[in-house]
Amino acid sequence: MPGVASNSDDLALIPHSPTNSHTIALHHTVKPPISRLSIAWARGNSLRVAVIRKPQAGESDDEPGGQVVEVKLGVDEADIYEAQWRRIAYGSVTPFAVLQSRKNLNTNAYNADLPAYVIEYSREINSLLGNQKVLPDPVIEDPKTVLQRVDEPTFSKAAWELMEIFFADKQSDGWIPERLVDWLSDYDNLIHGEQPTIYSRLVDFQTELVNLQAVEEDPKYWDVLSAALAVGWLDIVVKLLRLHSSYQHNQIGSRETENGLVETVVVLVSKMPRLRPNLSAGKLGECFDNKPDFVKAWEKWRGQITKLDCSAFWLQCGHQDTREGLKKLLQIMLGNASVLSATTFHWVELFIGHFLYIRPFTVGMESMYNLAQKCMQFKPGSSPHKLMELLNGILGENTEVVLAECSRSFGSWMITHAIELLTAGSTQADILLHEERNNLGGICIEELHRLVYAQVLSSHALTWQIAPIYLASCKKQGMGLLEILLYKQPVGHNQVLLKNIEICRMYELDNVGANAMKIAGVHHWKHGKKGSGVFWLQQAQDEFRLNRIAQQLFDFVGKSVSDESFKQWEGLIELLGSQSKAAGGLDFLHKYRDFKRSLQQVTDIACIDAARKASEALILLMKNPSTPQRFWLSLLYDSVKLLNWKERTLLNVPQTNLLLNKLQELSMARLRPDFIEADLPPQALSSVRLALATNLGRAILEE
Amino acid sequence: MAANNPETLQIHRIPQSTYIDAVRWLPPLSVFERFILLAVSDSNSDASLLEIRALNRSNPSILTPLSSLQLASRTSSLKVCQTPHKPLIAASSFSGSVRFLFVDNVEVGFDGSEHIVPEKSLHVGPISCIDLGGNELECVSVGEDGRVGLVSVGEGELSVRKVFDSAGLVSYSAVKWASPTEFVTGGLGFSVQWWDLRKPGAAVSQFKGNWDQGASSGIVHSIDIHPSRKHTCLAGGSSGTVFTWDIRWPQQPIVLSGAGQDAASARSLSASEVWEVQYDTFTRSSNHRISSTRVLPVMMCSEDGILAVTEEGEEPIELLVEPCAINCFDIDRQNPSDVICSMEWESVAILSRA
Repeated sequence: MPGVASNSDDLALIPHSPTNSHTIALHHTVKPPISRLSIAWARGNSLRVAVIRKPQAGESDDEPGGQVVEVKLGVDEADIYEAQWRRIAYGSVTPFAVLQSRKNLNTNAYNADLPAYVIEYSREINSLLGNQKVLPDPVIEDPKTVLQRVDEPTFSKAAWELMEIFFADKQSDGWIPERLVDWLSDYDNLIHGEQPTIYSRLVDFQTELVNLQAVEEDPKYWDVLSAALAVGWLDIVVKLLRLHSSYQHNQIGSRETENGLVETVVVLVSKMPRLRPNLSAGKLGECFDNKPDFVKAWEKWRGQITKLDCSAFWLQCGHQDTREGLKKLLQIMLGNASVLSATTFHWVELFIGHFLYIRPFTVGMESMYNLAQKCMQFKPGSSPHKLMELLNGILGENTEVVLAECSRSFGSWMITHAIELLTAGSTQADILLHEERNNLGGICIEELHRLVYAQVLSSHALTWQIAPIYLASCKKQGMGLLEILLYKQPVGHNQVLLKNIEICRMYELDNVGANAMKIAGVHHWKHGKKGSGVFWLQQAQDEFRLNRIAQQLFDFVGKSVSDESFKQWEGLIELLGSQSKAAGGLDFLHKYRDFKRSLQQVTDIACIDAARKASEALILLMKNPSTPQRFWLSLLYDSVKLLNWKERTLLNVPQTNLLLNKLQELSMARLRPDFIEADLPPQALSSVRLALATNLGRAILEE
Repeated sequence: MAANNPETLQIHRIPQSTYIDAVRWLPPLSVFERFILLAVSDSNSDASLLEIRALNRSNPSILTPLSSLQLASRTSSLKVCQTPHKPLIAASSFSGSVRFLFVDNVEVGFDGSEHIVPEKSLHVGPISCIDLGGNELECVSVGEDGRVGLVSVGEGELSVRKVFDSAGLVSYSAVKWASPTEFVTGGLGFSVQWWDLRKPGAAVSQFKGNWDQGASSGIVHSIDIHPSRKHTCLAGGSSGTVFTWDIRWPQQPIVLSGAGQDAASARSLSASEVWEVQYDTFTRSSNHRISSTRVLPVMMCSEDGILAVTEEGEEPIELLVEPCAINCFDIDRQNPSDVICSMEWESVAILSRA
């Protein structure tokens, strides 16, 4: 918080302790002695340090007096991570913008299509966070590979999917438990901390599996089997059961009953009824999308399990481990709470087990929340985990907790985009997020988070241009901050300037765009790029500054324009145009060029047409109020040969009078102290006067 | 026209982790792979690089890095030219230097030899555009400082000379060779200048259309000249403007897009900056009577994310519509059906038309 400064460490917002300090070496090439260091924030997470040295006597001027070095803080973040983050930021622009415009289409009426739009948005954002694509299967399938190899899932994706399940996906409200089963199977590997999870146990077991001859002899085999069954990873259970050595050809004769029992359990597991519309490929179970059918199938399935449990075949099964292990699996499927609790590790695993085998019809947040609380009591000691805290907040229907968790653990990108899901999820959350708050300066929580995210985007050279999309969606402060953002961009660089103008065009900030052009115009002018300066000031229609620079240009012209160097001016004069009003007196240069050009063509007496044209141009110039006074004499001096034209007079009486009047005016002006004397030979004035008088005389005679 | 059918257009978007300043195809050096030249700038390390990448013909979504070279400053313009021995690369920078490099034919990569025109020797401040061509492999360069430079790339030393210096009274933003002795520049106010090295001192011809009515004026960002029609130059610039200027009829440009004076004949494809234009040799003109006054099909890319082919009096074909700017594209000379373009959001796209 700016302005909060304190002398005592107790009051400091971030307590400073010497152990926390971090040394960064500063590389510069400035020779000592260094007299001063100046430190300022640069873009993003970097500091700009100016190293200034004290000039020593007797040194050449070539020695640089200082250097500006940029120092990146927090360099330990991996490069690829940054790029990945930017990719997500870029990718989320379109879904966000599309959703906003759809929401804005009809703000008053209830938007019946909104849920469909929100889920579309959610899926698009979800796909940005990484695809859980299964890597291509090896050519020869290894029967002992139980776990499928998947790309490393991310916490953000897990969090997003959790919110999608509860807030956005209204269609699958009826089978939230099954969606949670899927969610856990994708992300169980993320929730382990100090405590193991089923996934970590499976991974451990898989490494041991290669060395095992008879898997059923190992108690771990039965442990992971029941654990995987408890959270509904049926495909893994079946795969593991098929590794049972009773399936081997040399044993099948002697262990027929045992093998029969194993296979019956396999069939029962793979026939488990599931209350969901479909299953992805490779997953097992029988789907039912309505309750009555499911209940019927469930009762039947349970009946089959009970029947098997009481069957006489168990007595004939000689292998004790197999018998006990399979019985345990049956107990899980029959929903024995204590067995479930014993086989799972984390409370969320137990939670899922309850959904699958004890309370498949759990609906409503309250019952889910109570169940979760109960599971936590059974499995205490789980270290706090960001995904679990988030799940807790969601189940407790506590929007504040969800917001706080999103913001604390996943950053501003997540919260800005997840708010769309939250507001779609419930009216209560919608009201909470859209309520204008006095303590936030009259903006709502939604706007606050968008502004923060836009600030993060603005701090990077590559993402600042997507910040306007988020700022524009903020009703109260957005446009003001957008203007500030645009004003902060360096305009000396053409690419940035054009981007700036483009954004101004899109958001109808004509005034800001014009100001950027003016700043750029002055910048270029000061750096000697006169053409660019004039161009941008013309684009901005800034007559005031054009007039100012016109004066400077005339000084320059007055000194330098010879017939030769007019070639240099050609481009600028073309740019100024002939009739454009915004040129601020600069159109004089255009006429001056025309006059000079026709004068050049007057080489001898035969060029009467050119001479006539030149004298017309002269009259035009002299009549034009924008012709600066300091050029009058040089113009007249240049045209002495026109005035003294042998054959006939080129200027009639009124025209000559006009020129004489101008000459008179000039003589008066010379008395003023600020008059600038043209760079002409001393006899120029008298020769012009003489020529004009002669011409007047001849013209009167001719008339 | 063929490209209109989405089934015949394959697009591969390849995300990068750096900003791409420029992208060019390299001439074919191998049967199995294609090669691409990228000028990138890494925002993390503030490094600018020139990279050669290999593109697998069978799987065009993988770009394998082959060779890379650190540059002192960001690349403002990048050109490739096939010489009798090996491809020559010229890259100009925002700090005013030009770098010439050769590509090794056998072990595809930079061959180690390079020539540099240092900063402030030819241009002060950013060089806006360069082009390779001319009599005996010359590089013409233009800059915001209003200078026009010419660098002869011989075997050994570079010879540098200034063709023109406007001392900042104008700025140039685009350049293209028209013939071994002529070239065309473009700049502010949609101005286009025709230069002839045999007539030194100033531009031979100036074109500045009468854009004052209606839409405001703009900057020419890119120029192309078709080798078979050297009298016509194609230019693209601000406000979605694409026009051609025929030096035989110097007062009338043919407007292909934007700057809506004649809205009926010129459909505006884009409303913002057109960053690059090239004649599209792949799209066959729908009008079979080939007349020399008719403008050949043109490809353009724009700030508002459009890559399209347009032809005089025809409905334009949009090849790509992106949510971000398309900064640069290149049509493969040997395989005109293939186009590579670079996007503002750190990615490149490879398009193959059939």
